[in-house]
Amino acid sequence: MSHGGAPRGRSVNPDVVRAIAGLRAGDVLSAGQAAFFDRVARRGVVSVRFEIRALLYAGVLLLTAGVGVLVAQHQDEIGPLAIATGIALAAAGSLIWVTRRAAPFSWGEAPSPSLAFDYVLLLGLLLVAADLAYVEMQFTVLGAHWAYHLLIVGVLYLLAAYRWDSRTALGLALATLAAWRGLSLSLVPAALGLGVAADLRASAIVLGALYVAAAALSAWLARKAHFEEVFANAGLLLLLGGLLSGVLDDREAWSVWLVAVLLTAGGVMAVALRLGRSLYFAVGLVAAYIALVRLLFEPFRYGQHADSIPLLLAALLGSAVLALIFWAHRRMRER
Amino acid sequence: MRPEAIAWERAAEVHAAARGWRRAGAIDEATLERIREAFPDPCVTPGAVWRVLTGGMVAAIVLCTFVAVALGLWRSSTAIQILLLLWGAACLVVTDVLEASPRSARRGAAGATSLLGVGFFLLGLGLFLVESVRLHVDDAIDLLLVAAVCACALAAWRWGSPLFAGLGGVALFCYLARLPNGRILWLLAGAALTGLWAWRLDEARLAPSHRISAAVLTVVGIGAVYAAANVYSLDEGSLEHLARLAPSPEDLPRGARLAAAVATVVLPLAVLAWGLRTRRTFVLDTGIVLLALSLVTLRQYVHVAPLWVVLILAGALLVVLALVVERALRRARSGEIAGFTADPLFSDERRQQILQVVPVVAAFTPAARAPGADPGFAGEGGRFGGGGAQEKF
Repeated sequence: MSHGGAPRGRSVNPDVVRAIAGLRAGDVLSAGQAAFFDRVARRGVVSVRFEIRALLYAGVLLLTAGVGVLVAQHQDEIGPLAIATGIALAAAGSLIWVTRRAAPFSWGEAPSPSLAFDYVLLLGLLLVAADLAYVEMQFTVLGAHWAYHLLIVGVLYLLAAYRWDSRTALGLALATLAAWRGLSLSLVPAALGLGVAADLRASAIVLGALYVAAAALSAWLARKAHFEEVFANAGLLLLLGGLLSGVLDDREAWSVWLVAVLLTAGGVMAVALRLGRSLYFAVGLVAAYIALVRLLFEPFRYGQHADSIPLLLAALLGSAVLALIFWAHRRMRER
Repeated sequence: MRPEAIAWERAAEVHAAARGWRRAGAIDEATLERIREAFPDPCVTPGAVWRVLTGGMVAAIVLCTFVAVALGLWRSSTAIQILLLLWGAACLVVTDVLEASPRSARRGAAGATSLLGVGFFLLGLGLFLVESVRLHVDDAIDLLLVAAVCACALAAWRWGSPLFAGLGGVALFCYLARLPNGRILWLLAGAALTGLWAWRLDEARLAPSHRISAAVLTVVGIGAVYAAANVYSLDEGSLEHLARLAPSPEDLPRGARLAAAVATVVLPLAVLAWGLRTRRTFVLDTGIVLLALSLVTLRQYVHVAPLWVVLILAGALLVVLALVVERALRRARSGEIAGFTADPLFSDERRQQILQVVPVVAAFTPAARAPGADPGFAGEGGRFGGGGAQEKF
């Protein structure tokens, strides 16, 4: 079959429409298959799944923002007890809706009963968290240990993620637990060397390692194995971000951190190649590249050509990394 | 675009559709293989992660070499201009070579070099106009915007990049806003752009990437018409701020404000109706965004309730609307109403579920605890943010 001279006419995807006709004529597709595929390609039926999701996301965003504004602007008029009770009732309503529709617990992947399920769960959890924060602020239930409310919220999200099989709740749980330790799930501040304190670095490394271990255990024990990617991506960002901040910030021991980054990133890339996970490979490679660029710049900190030569070397290193990317991609494809 | 590149794209379209059929279980592995054999695509097509990684690394190499050479020449503006134009030309030549080979066309490298090439060229031209020709800054900006429109249009046509089509469209409207009667030009050019490209959205003669570019230009055109017609933009003179000579508010023709108010209400509804009638989801999405903007505009003029009531009601309304739509579609015969369905059809549902984690984590994660903060209640100035709604008391 040739590709030239695609048909004229008003169809959503003329190339696919033409291909379907050819595949039907060549008996590759059955009449039923061809008719349905053709209808979809001609926009006879269109999915609005993305639009429903976007509406739900925007709805939850507006609702939580509205609750925030209400509490901030009218707490004196309404009274703390009424506010706390109101938020709790709304949270309970959302979570009861979720509980009534949820599938029974399973260690495997449970299909979501509806598109709205994840978002109503999200709304319920956010309202619970908001209520906890408000109650803590008004009534100081935790007293001197007030900072632990983020830990409580994180654990709550984690339990909800497992009970209702929600990757969204899991992502939120991991980010909240990181926030409890004063961390943001972002490589950028660390990569830019924006002064990450030593205790924060240690927290990032420990938490990152824990998340990576949880990812490995999820897959190995086949307990919510589909959570592996969420655990591992969050863990690798924290772990490699933490190590990288040592390379960029710690003037005395940067070389030790460099070795640690290279060993960890190398290990991550090797495992990623074996498992066929391109995102893990990318995170490892970028961390190793940034660390090596730091090494390249070190001998040229003072003296003539202090800027040009390391930049040229960084470009040379980039070429080697590019070759590694092509090799790894081919290797992963072959596997 | 080269004829062979168009043929590769057409084959890739068929492969993508076939992978969707396979994902949905509508065909088996053997059928997928037969489709691949019937429509051979010689291009190496890595996933998004590999393409971003490759593009990022190519960009790092090009920028490092450029800066390394530029550091030796930074005292001479002419030398920097020549260097920028040389690097730009080199990047564009490399892009054309990469695009010609099925081994490199879709790896992400060509995207990076084309973007850098156009960027270097425009920077070099800008420096040349201001420092060598000594043009007035306003004249230089005008010329640069015209050059950006031409460069982006050429790049979109040659390499089939929807990104360049969008950037070219934006540059065109920035230029028009600087002319006298910019608002009217936005209305006319926006309507013309939408009319011109909306008719070509499904044209079989166009390459698939050119059809996507047509969709991007249609959205840019609709956006321009809406921005020019919106009553708040008219009152604030948003477009006039961009003009070289800002007209005084008295220059507004009579009835313009009323027409703008009507257009602010009617335009989103018209776009929504168009999207529903043609079942084009990107038009529908544009209509939804415009409707949201019109509601925000309405709130600017009409204060029917306090902000928190508006936010909570709007949020609840959206959630209920989504629930009702999904429920209605699920309960409908064959799971569809007027050609719309809540089923994923052939899209990658697993990927979308993973991707939906990102905006949720970005928007709803509470702020990180201050480093080194001793546990202990501050008493005042605490932060209400456990639920992602971060409001300070």
